[in-house]
Amino acid sequence: MAMKERLTKADEAKPWYGELPVESLYTAGIAGEKFFRSIQEKGVFLGSKCHKCNMVYVPPKIYCEQDFEKLEDYVEVADCGSLESFTCVHIGLDGKRLLEPMIVGLINLDGASTSIVHMLGETTVEELCMGMRVCAVFKPKNKREGAITDILYFKPTKQ
Amino acid sequence: MGNRVAIVGAGMTKFVRRAQETGKELCYEAAKMALDSCDMNLDQIDAVALGTAPDTFDGVHMKGEYLSDGAGAFGKPYMRSYVGGGTGVFSVAQGWYHIASGLMDTCLVICEEKMSSYRPHPQGAFLTIFDHTTERPLKPNLLWIFALEMNRYMSTYGLRKEDIALVAVKNKNNALDHPCAQIAKAVTVKDILNSEVLAWPVQRLDVSPVSDGAVALILTNETIARRVTNKPVWIEGVGWSLETSYWTNRDLCYPRYVEEAARMAYKMAGVTCPRQQIHVAEPYDPFDYKELHHMEGLMLCGKGEAPQMTVDGITQRDGELPVCPSGGLLGVGNPIAAAGLMKVAELFWQLRGEAGKRQIARKPKRGVAQAWGDLMQVGTVVVVGI
Repeated sequence: MAMKERLTKADEAKPWYGELPVESLYTAGIAGEKFFRSIQEKGVFLGSKCHKCNMVYVPPKIYCEQDFEKLEDYVEVADCGSLESFTCVHIGLDGKRLLEPMIVGLINLDGASTSIVHMLGETTVEELCMGMRVCAVFKPKNKREGAITDILYFKPTKQ
Repeated sequence: MGNRVAIVGAGMTKFVRRAQETGKELCYEAAKMALDSCDMNLDQIDAVALGTAPDTFDGVHMKGEYLSDGAGAFGKPYMRSYVGGGTGVFSVAQGWYHIASGLMDTCLVICEEKMSSYRPHPQGAFLTIFDHTTERPLKPNLLWIFALEMNRYMSTYGLRKEDIALVAVKNKNNALDHPCAQIAKAVTVKDILNSEVLAWPVQRLDVSPVSDGAVALILTNETIARRVTNKPVWIEGVGWSLETSYWTNRDLCYPRYVEEAARMAYKMAGVTCPRQQIHVAEPYDPFDYKELHHMEGLMLCGKGEAPQMTVDGITQRDGELPVCPSGGLLGVGNPIAAAGLMKVAELFWQLRGEAGKRQIARKPKRGVAQAWGDLMQVGTVVVVGI
């Protein structure tokens, strides 16, 4: 019997339901643990500094990815920085249109060599521009869990 | 064949049940240690060969890409290889052909596994390797394969569980001398026979533990090796081979895939009589009977003869042919890909006389390491010598 080019009726081939169950319990790691504890307990962003090339990684790493130095100098960086790029997202993970579009930005915190991605709030796309100043808005301390979601969003500021 | 390739440095993290470090951080520790061991730095590395087993263990899709910065791959040719449990030994072959071909002068080989992330138990990660229509509805796990194999091996050669348990006793006791070992506890045959039954005849202490860890090696061409060290360990042969991926169609008593991989590696290394020319062996031992299986596939003895060699003490660290002097997966731990590479690292240390309390007194000059995996049909073999 020749191979069919396509199925014309759904019941011609028996379908088989299956799933790939993957559930994980991650660790934040040596540097990640310090980063999230600092956010939870102090509302402060930590980075790690490479004294060979002066890179400051936020979130911190225990190594410099460029020259492989061991990084042990953890430095506090600002909770404000400049908006490196932004977008307004209209489509969700399920492919459907979001009821409320969300604004996502890449933020370079003052004192950091790298950027982090997060939501932007208390603003509209029309208000945003490249290089604009934004600051982190944290959850109240008693609601924080030591997670990236302890930061609600970044908002434009005049600072 | 090709340019000569040497191993000049090695590093490994402690193998543990659950590491606080991320997989990237484990990679960094092992890689840095390997570089430091031969006074080299990342600028002197031309390429990085990474090995790591299923993404599901770490719970990170595209794990090779995720681990790359910790593995020192920034700005370098980099590739992840993956042949399941065979990955650790295969990654050395991958590093070898980068240099043997003349394309690269140096290569960092690194293997990592963080199995503790998977919930509720890493065993569940294996469900999806089975056929999705004929097997998965039966909810199989890997123990099924091992129990069926072990039972067949025992009945074919008339073996008692006591004979096989001697392998676990030997390896777990050898691991007492390994500073990176996860399990440092002496056991007896009685302990093993009294441990809980997982799937008859496989019992808890017949099996290696679940582990997190990383191992790294530095490979170079001959010119650089001569400059970096006065004790290079040469990669004399590499081999890998695949049997039918349908596990039910295989000989349960004999790992032909190991024999084929070994023949490839031995031919390259000029080994014609393995029993005489191999002085130390690190066959893959996730289960005690698998060490025996693999010794036979590596042609270190005839079919069905490995148990008697063990009973006779030949495979002890002070025996004629030490097998798994490191403590193996059964003792040191089994972070899949990293465990395979640990075996090659052990040969490196043994041949250089740097194995500390584990050092084989007979001054071995040539060793073989082997791993096994995928749906248990791939064999990977490396022969090293001084």
